Amino acid sequence: MTDRNDIGKTDAPKNIINTFAVIIRNAQIHDLNNIAVKNAVEKFMAILNPITAKYGILTLDLIGEFFFINQTRIRYSMEYLLNFDFLLREFKKRKLGSIAFNNTLTTHDLQTFLSLFISSAFSEEPFEALSEGTRHIVSIEVGPPKTLRDREEGEYDIRKTVKETYFNAVSFTKGVMNRIKSGEKESIKKAKRIVESIVDIMLEQDELLIGMTAIKDYDEYTYHHSVNVSILSVTLGHRLGLGKKALTELGLVALFHDIGKLEVPQEILNKPTNFNEDEWKIIKKHPIWSLRAILKLKGIDSLSIRAAIVAFEHHLNYDITGYPKLSRLVKTDLYTRVVSIADQYDGMTSSRVYARIAMAPDKALSVMTERAGTQIDPLLFKFFVNMIGVFPIGSLVLLDTKELGLVYGNNTAFPDRPRVMIVTDSNGNRIEGHAADLSEKDGSGRYLRKIIKTIDPNKYSINLADYLL
Amino acid sequence: MNTFEETAIVKEIIQTLIKAKKTIRTYPENNPVYSKIIATTFSKFSVFFISNEELVLKIKLNEILFGSERVYFNQEKEDNLAMFFFKDGIRELQFRNGLTPQELEEFLKIITLDFEREAVDDDIVTLLWEKDFQDIKYVADENFLVEDEEYGLKAENEIKGKSPASHEFQRAYTDAFKAEDLGEVAVINLTEEDLARLAGEINEDNAEDKLEKLSGLLFDILFIAERPSDYEDLVNFIKEAMQYAARSGDLRTFTYILRRLRKYSGDAGINETYRKHFSSLISLASSEESIKHISGIFDSEIETDDSFLNEYTEFLDRNAVSPLISALGEMKTIKGRRKVISILVDLGKKDIQTLVKGLKDSRWYVVRNIIYILRHIGDKKAVEYLLNSARHPDVRVRREAIRTLGELKSIHTLQALRHSLDDPDLSVRKASVEALCSIGSDTAKRIILAKISEKDFGERDFDEKKAFYEGLSAWDDPDVSEFMIKTLARTSLFKKSQMDEDKACAAHCLGLMGKKEAIPSIEKLKDSGNRLLNDYAINALKRLEYDRQK
Ligand SMILES: [Fe+2]
Ligand SMILES: [Fe+2]
Repeated sequence: MTDRNDIGKTDAPKNIINTFAVIIRNAQIHDLNNIAVKNAVEKFMAILNPITAKYGILTLDLIGEFFFINQTRIRYSMEYLLNFDFLLREFKKRKLGSIAFNNTLTTHDLQTFLSLFISSAFSEEPFEALSEGTRHIVSIEVGPPKTLRDREEGEYDIRKTVKETYFNAVSFTKGVMNRIKSGEKESIKKAKRIVESIVDIMLEQDELLIGMTAIKDYDEYTYHHSVNVSILSVTLGHRLGLGKKALTELGLVALFHDIGKLEVPQEILNKPTNFNEDEWKIIKKHPIWSLRAILKLKGIDSLSIRAAIVAFEHHLNYDITGYPKLSRLVKTDLYTRVVSIADQYDGMTSSRVYARIAMAPDKALSVMTERAGTQIDPLLFKFFVNMIGVFPIGSLVLLDTKELGLVYGNNTAFPDRPRVMIVTDSNGNRIEGHAADLSEKDGSGRYLRKIIKTIDPNKYSINLADYLL
Repeated sequence: MNTFEETAIVKEIIQTLIKAKKTIRTYPENNPVYSKIIATTFSKFSVFFISNEELVLKIKLNEILFGSERVYFNQEKEDNLAMFFFKDGIRELQFRNGLTPQELEEFLKIITLDFEREAVDDDIVTLLWEKDFQDIKYVADENFLVEDEEYGLKAENEIKGKSPASHEFQRAYTDAFKAEDLGEVAVINLTEEDLARLAGEINEDNAEDKLEKLSGLLFDILFIAERPSDYEDLVNFIKEAMQYAARSGDLRTFTYILRRLRKYSGDAGINETYRKHFSSLISLASSEESIKHISGIFDSEIETDDSFLNEYTEFLDRNAVSPLISALGEMKTIKGRRKVISILVDLGKKDIQTLVKGLKDSRWYVVRNIIYILRHIGDKKAVEYLLNSARHPDVRVRREAIRTLGELKSIHTLQALRHSLDDPDLSVRKASVEALCSIGSDTAKRIILAKISEKDFGERDFDEKKAFYEGLSAWDDPDVSEFMIKTLARTSLFKKSQMDEDKACAAHCLGLMGKKEAIPSIEKLKDSGNRLLNDYAINALKRLEYDRQK
């Protein structure tokens, strides 16, 4: 057995996810002798055999929201996104964390396992039922869910890395903006590396990274805003199936979208009250100023062309309302529509960008839902909600247990049942936060907790800082 | 394999990498040397992987270590492989068993880039990162990315300072119960249709269309510019956009910008400064740099839409002539050369003076192309310059010049053509005869006649003599037929065979001209004892008899 492999390079992940999903879907409707199921089972064997022959084993692990095949994380790809989500739900339903097939696997074993897999969904203790049944199959083994921590060896603390990456990006952005303001030359190489570090962390742990964007109380919010928009854009871009290079491009473009705000007088930007008409007039020039700053900084090349377009367009809505006013109608760029969603969301949930009163994350999301189709690209917005959850990360929620919780993780399989930090007991007393998964059920199959109301976390400065920082 | 052997292999791997770096820089991908060096490098790795799963190289400023063994050392600044990786922050490289030749080739391509000289926006780490190799990993020092080590700590403390007091939780708790009830939570699921539409959107998002879009925006902004400096910036951006379009072979955007510039510079209400700027931007179409790049497109595999090419040509002014001539010399394909020639035929009309400067080019083929262009322009003004080309050292140029002089039909060319009747090259001499024929004047005729009558003309090859006589027969007049008939009757004791050749030519031409009055004279030659003369005489008679029967 070897712990490393080249599966990531092949079609195996796609085939395994797709075929396994097809088997389960069909087997739920028909019985195992159905021809569609049989064909899919045969196909599945044909995919597994060469891999188990080569490596002795094939493991399919679910860690957090991601599948791993023989320890290689499967990329969240357009090619199997729906089957990926479906399988995720099926695993979670059964509290299943891993399946391992070894090289003695036979079609008969697989069929036996499949019928156990299907029937376990109806059991009160699905994982126990499945693992008990599987004990008799030598070639297959199942395991409970692992957490990210289990996977990490040694002292590596992903939280620390997320935090460092985030603040480093913010301080870099501050540096860039100040250097540009004082007319210094700025190399793009470093900015690229910063965005790459964001992409790396996003691929590893997007939840914590999104969590960082939900903390809004910084004095130097302009810089945080740029980084947050970059993070949210890159994460959405990843959901859209963009590759690494495109993600860097998108992240950079997003990072510089408001660079023109350098020219907006500080006293306007930092004004504690809402802008008056004259001030808005100035604010509305920043897209053009951003475009100019980018082209001045970088001259014209493939990256600055994209960045300048997005900078110019980011307040032009999906329906080309907004500003700056154009002499003719143009469709805004794909990147613009991504950045604009990220920008609106981060802007609305903070009190420093456009309005002086911050909206609760779920409120911002519902305002955006109303705008979808007019001001916001409805298709991309669907992906955004799918990513950030119905109760977005950072939401403060009241549970049916009368506890208050802060949402810190989205459950792709059950979007209305996120993972939360419980921050008060049922009497409203502050407690040391502990995590709860709202998709957890008790022995009788009832959900342990449920969100009943949402409250604006900004009003009370209650945020994920305690958990993340 | 023991450590000693392993170290030796690793050293070899490093040396091969260095060699490959040079080779790949020098040879194109389709060259066998190129594929060979990749195969060689790969085979070195393969040897190492027979008994190892992983090759880890530690990168220091001036050395590379394998375990604790130094496998590379160099203190020079130039061509230092260790420093090459080190300066971009790479501290470790890992090659893993499973490495494919494709991955290796991609890796080699990256390390072959000349980061100092080429305008590369990426460092090695970025390029390796983007490639996301499965079997080549690296460890990079990211310390240089840290702007302010204290920043995170300060920000954290700031937030912690604002951390809510316990009573805030109580307040939130109390308020929560007063909050609105949650409505039905709508869970939207993505569908196959969504994915298909998304794929469409991503497909539609072409990098090639972006510059044209940006250029459009620049014009929009230009007209709302408030400060003179804004305006200057924008004019400058448009200029850069044109340069970038030219550089990247984007003729569509290039002409798009020109079109808009022309539209605005034609607007009645436009202010004079704007108009001046716009015309100076339009003149960029004719700049040396633009033409260098755009003519490069003609030569390349890129399919150019002729409508853009034609439109582009409309914007060129006389300044384009000289760069186009230089471009002509650089063209590598016939396709490319034809395009440049057709533009020059168009444009040269406006500026013959500049065009003829190309006749002084050191490359014969450029000179020949210019002559060709002049011929197609058909302007007699070119004649005086072509006269020089008729004496060009390269025969191909002289031939083209003579042919063109003939077509231009200027009386000023006669002397030059006469001179060329004695050109060292046969094809030029023949071309001169043709040119004289094409001019067709009495003087032209007399020049040929005089040449044929010269004493030593008879010494020329039969083939050439025949060409001269044939040329002469183009003038169907008494002078010519009389001369030919006289030739038939000439007698001499010396150089009889040469004279027989002259007679054969004359007989042949009289036949061509249908001079029946020559039949008796030709009859006398058909049994002359010279086979060549006999044959030509018989053929001429046949032709004349046949004519008579008709
Ligand atoms: Fe903005
Ligand atoms: Fe913004």
